[in-house]
Amino acid sequence: MEKQAAAAGAADGAGPNRKLWGSPTCGPAAGDTLDSPTGSHVEWCKQLIAATISSQIGVSSVPSDIARDNKARRRPDFMVSKRLTPRQDSHDEGLCYHGDSDSEHPTNALNLPALRYGEQATMFQNQVPLLPGETVQTTVKDVMYICPFSGLVNGTLTITDYKLYFTSVERESPFVLDVNLGVISRLETISVPNQGGNTKGLELVCKDMRSPRFAYKAEEGHPDVVELLAKLAFPLSHSLRLFAFLYKEQFPVDGWKVYDPTAEYRRLGLPNESWAISKLNSSYELCDTYPSILVIPTHITEDDVRRVAMFRAKHRIPVLSWIHPETQATIVRCSQPLVGPTDRRCKEDERFLQIIMDANAQSHKLTIFDARQSSVAVTNKAKDGGYESESFYPNVELNFLEIPNIHVMRESLRKMKDVVYPTIDEAHWHSAIDQTHWLEYIRLLLAGAAKMVDKLESGKTSVVVHCSDGWDRTAQLTSLAMLMLDSHYRTLRGFQVLVEKEWVSFGHKFAARVGHGDENHANSERSPLFVQFIDCVWQMTRQFPAAFEFNELFLITVLDHLYSCLFGTFLYSSEQERAAKEVQTDTVSLWSYVNSQPEDFTNPFYVDYEHHVLCPLVSSRHLELWTGYYARWNPRMRPQVPVHQTLKELLFLRAELQRRVEDLQREATSRSSSSFSEHSPSHTAGMPLHSAV
Amino acid sequence: MEHIRLPKVENVRLLDRVSPRRSRVGTLYLTATHTIFVENEAGVRNETWVLHSLVSSVEKQAAAASGCSLLVRCKNFQVLHFVVPRERECQDVHLSLQRLSQPERCEELYCFSYKPNVDEAERRQEWDFLDPKADYSRMGLPNSLWKLSPVNQHYKVSDTYPADLFVPQSATPPVIVGSSKFRSRGRFPTLSYYSKENHAAICRSSQPLSGFSARCLEDEQMLEAILRSNPRSDFMYVVDTRPKLNAIANRAAGKGYENEDNYSNIKFQFIGIENIHVMRNSQQKMLEVCELRSPSMSDFLEGLESSGWLKHIKAVLDAGIFIAKAVAEEGVSVLVHCSDGWDRTAQVCSVASVLLDPHYRTLRGLMVLIEKDWVSFGHKFSHRCNHLVGDPKEVSPVIDQFLECVWQLMEQFPCAFEFNARFLITIHSHIYSCQYGNFIGNNQRERVELGLRERTHSLWSYLWKNQTDYINPLYRPDHSQTQGLLRPSTAPYCFKSWRGLYNRFDRGMHPRQSVEDYLSAIQEETQQLEEQLASHKQKIAQLELEQEGSVTQEAVSFDKSPTAWALGRDLGLANTPQDYTGGFVPSSPCQLKAPDGSLGLLTQDSNLSNGSDQESGIADVSCRSPLSEDSAGDPDSDEAAYSAA
Repeated sequence: MEKQAAAAGAADGAGPNRKLWGSPTCGPAAGDTLDSPTGSHVEWCKQLIAATISSQIGVSSVPSDIARDNKARRRPDFMVSKRLTPRQDSHDEGLCYHGDSDSEHPTNALNLPALRYGEQATMFQNQVPLLPGETVQTTVKDVMYICPFSGLVNGTLTITDYKLYFTSVERESPFVLDVNLGVISRLETISVPNQGGNTKGLELVCKDMRSPRFAYKAEEGHPDVVELLAKLAFPLSHSLRLFAFLYKEQFPVDGWKVYDPTAEYRRLGLPNESWAISKLNSSYELCDTYPSILVIPTHITEDDVRRVAMFRAKHRIPVLSWIHPETQATIVRCSQPLVGPTDRRCKEDERFLQIIMDANAQSHKLTIFDARQSSVAVTNKAKDGGYESESFYPNVELNFLEIPNIHVMRESLRKMKDVVYPTIDEAHWHSAIDQTHWLEYIRLLLAGAAKMVDKLESGKTSVVVHCSDGWDRTAQLTSLAMLMLDSHYRTLRGFQVLVEKEWVSFGHKFAARVGHGDENHANSERSPLFVQFIDCVWQMTRQFPAAFEFNELFLITVLDHLYSCLFGTFLYSSEQERAAKEVQTDTVSLWSYVNSQPEDFTNPFYVDYEHHVLCPLVSSRHLELWTGYYARWNPRMRPQVPVHQTLKELLFLRAELQRRVEDLQREATSRSSSSFSEHSPSHTAGMPLHSAV
Repeated sequence: MEHIRLPKVENVRLLDRVSPRRSRVGTLYLTATHTIFVENEAGVRNETWVLHSLVSSVEKQAAAASGCSLLVRCKNFQVLHFVVPRERECQDVHLSLQRLSQPERCEELYCFSYKPNVDEAERRQEWDFLDPKADYSRMGLPNSLWKLSPVNQHYKVSDTYPADLFVPQSATPPVIVGSSKFRSRGRFPTLSYYSKENHAAICRSSQPLSGFSARCLEDEQMLEAILRSNPRSDFMYVVDTRPKLNAIANRAAGKGYENEDNYSNIKFQFIGIENIHVMRNSQQKMLEVCELRSPSMSDFLEGLESSGWLKHIKAVLDAGIFIAKAVAEEGVSVLVHCSDGWDRTAQVCSVASVLLDPHYRTLRGLMVLIEKDWVSFGHKFSHRCNHLVGDPKEVSPVIDQFLECVWQLMEQFPCAFEFNARFLITIHSHIYSCQYGNFIGNNQRERVELGLRERTHSLWSYLWKNQTDYINPLYRPDHSQTQGLLRPSTAPYCFKSWRGLYNRFDRGMHPRQSVEDYLSAIQEETQQLEEQLASHKQKIAQLELEQEGSVTQEAVSFDKSPTAWALGRDLGLANTPQDYTGGFVPSSPCQLKAPDGSLGLLTQDSNLSNGSDQESGIADVSCRSPLSEDSAGDPDSDEAAYSAA
């Protein structure tokens, strides 16, 4: 079943396919496709139903036609289809090995969810699709793309302020490679033997597990490609603006409105008698990395809060993240206490936790989860940090979750890249994966979150979570636990709220962890913590395929735009900084894009399990490598068989049939009642079912 | 009965494998055919039945204060850990079970005592359900190129081959007999699969007795004849599925492989699938990994890799792909052999057939394929599956590997197979269960002598009757990816550990929600809606008639209508989406029924079913009891997550 999730991209179907459904007779005429922008998804589904309704269910033959026709229709499609998601690249890269024996690639650029909005993207000279606000910086001819799978491809390289776009018409099918500049981690010059004296080689080491290489002729008088790319890919290091501030797309939905803290707290039933919505941090004075709106216990004075803030690293005081609708048990997050080598105490902090404990009448205990390894927590005491001593905090139970730090995670993902790109060592696949320890860390996170859920749900006990600063592992754990506990966060909108709240507003340092527009690739602050979180979510969707409203494509899209710098959602490190840079007014939210076409990101299996708690299995047998993300550039990733497609069709078919049954029932009812009244009223007694249906 | 030393032991504990703290106390019964554990708990009668023929080993551990442990491992990968209070009793159970699980005579096998409620005529029909000969005619045989040869009618030429064999038209009996004398066990080259489209064929044989220099004119003529039966091709492949070193070693024993110089226009190829002993050890190691209670990520991944199991599966699949491509893409015939031509050869030929021909990806097709390539061509089921007490070195999971290859293909092509994983698992169980006569004996001759057709039942018709349980809801025979030759990827990440088979009996080990069951439910519902639609249409047509027609017509129509309406209402109940949220999984039509009441584990809560605890993964907030058995919120069911807690 691993495949079906990855099928989402293919299955969700994009413009060209939809077109085909509607007019199966239309040939591969370029003009035809060029002139007619693709229909909406709903439209397409209707056509699908029309096509299948007469035939038997589940055996519609149309998809195979698509697959066959795709090859012929590739070119025109590729000219219209607007490229936004870097996911497309995978399919583009698909073209580069298209000539191989393994030639059945029904998915390529066309099957992607094309944007319906701004369909008429401007085309630059040689068909480079441009986003609104995007400008071409330079075009270099006779560039070789050194494909790790099928050798050299000769073509034209266009560099814009958003992306690098390589096209080749050398082979029978056009080849396109589209890399957005935000994804580039570093640029390396490489040596290219046997290509003439002034040939230079360039490798783009990317954050998303690939490293495309190019060779080009350096010419006098032309600006150097590397210099230009460095300037555009790392704008902040060159005192330029990030592309998100230049992007001018208009979406019908405003993603910045997705998260309203007050509304979200209201949904949780807050404020209540124990918890208050506090404006103490409205000007970010109390804590500059926290959001302006915080939920803290009612029965605590402002002075006490300020003293607690002095006792917590970076002033990140314990604040409420989530409250159980029935038991009032809470998830509280904070940073480590500044205990130091002398075992300092803070009466206010001790009382603060006591009040949190008392706010939950169901339990007289409080569990603190320290995400760190216990040994690290101990060493932190020497650095003025530390952990809560159980002897100073009565009725508190302290648990270490033994999760390694950001540097370990960075190293783990780096090793993972070596395993999956460009080639895979067949004989040692499992041990190579094991040596990255990536899955082990995923397991620790899921297990940690599951322990929190168990305490809250079965033990009815409030939990406090912290690591060192409370913005990395803490965010991972609270958001995973909330995802397991609260079905709202498993919807498309709810998930966005969760990310906005636990990650963005609570100051996960996206700018430092991702390094947006920053050339300093060796910065030790970088770490793929958000990727880890999304991976954990994916592991959960694998175990509960019907519990999440969003699909795999959504998760991949989120990760792609974590790096792309196209949207403002993940820029900068705190709410304060984002407000200062006017991110909300000057950039577009990723959720604007997603929510303008939610069908593409919706899981057809979704059933709303309201009030259900998910308890994922976290044994090593149940975790698997998310090859649909990490290994997606590998040409052996095959296009997926449309499992999702089949289900979607069935669901639509069912809806349609239900509608028709209802219609007919209504018709039958009206007719029979009229016939009864005309002919034999005595019979109505024998038909009591009318009202029931 | 004489082997049962102790028919009943009280106060036995059955330990849960995932969480040993949770054990069940009950009574253990030994019967002539089954071990039965009955839980003594008020209200519930929970029974676990284990067929003796499925027991692969019984291990008695040293006595401890709590009692004496008895570890029963089954061929369907169930492991039962009993604790018997007194050592004496434990010893008796141990000895009885050991004897019962290893019958000495064929007559003791379960299939001879298994008597379901069917009359004799029906039983005989069961055996006529599948006919490999019909499969040959489906391939278009006999034709001008291939003929049915009577040469092995009384198993005179090769006693391990079936009676009906297809050979090239030009192969005369003297050539066949001559060739058979030059092949191990007389297993001369004969047809396994024929492609109607391009006349390319897959043939199978055993190794030639070539030694270092021996030649045989008839054998060379035989290969020539096979080559000529494919008019469009000027050469053929000879595939030796063994590693080259093994084949060379065989030369010293007067066996070996074909010399390209002696045979005209052959291309010789080694494939390198390891022998039955390597496979047996590899599976053993893999099972040890599967049995780990809460393995760390490293234990699991390293263990899986060092067992080599998936590597061997890949080798078999690679060989199948090579042959399938030769036949479908090059149009070249292939002769496949290993040493005796009944293990690796069977695997490779059948995998190639599955890849090549969509027919073998249907329920009926897979049954025919197993019947033809495995049963009739003399895969030594009795030896390989250890049906009777025998040489443990002859035991090997060769057929397991074939079934797993099919499963790995199903994972890659979820829409290409008419059957689901349950079908494969059921076949696997019955290969070992000895409940049906199909897999008893080592070859056709033995089976005829045992009179299996006369005395036992056939699995195939049982499976066919219950086919609704085995249908893959995603099957789409008309999709381009599922037609013709399958081209699987053999990248290492495409091979997965088959939890559904090897960890089948571990509760809490399976995904909680099954997409397939969901789909089946929806598909069924859609079908019901269509029926409903039809009935409504009919109803309306009748009403229309009524309105125009006479009083007599009206009376007739009303006789029918109540049924139509009743039907409509019953179905209507399950149609709202709300009904889905509540119970789509439990109402799934594909809940695995325990096959026929006597096989494997039969507890009342039917742990057997993959689907039975899908729902339980989602603990309902309203029932928050941490000790509730069925709530997967129960920390115990989550092996590793909570083991530290």
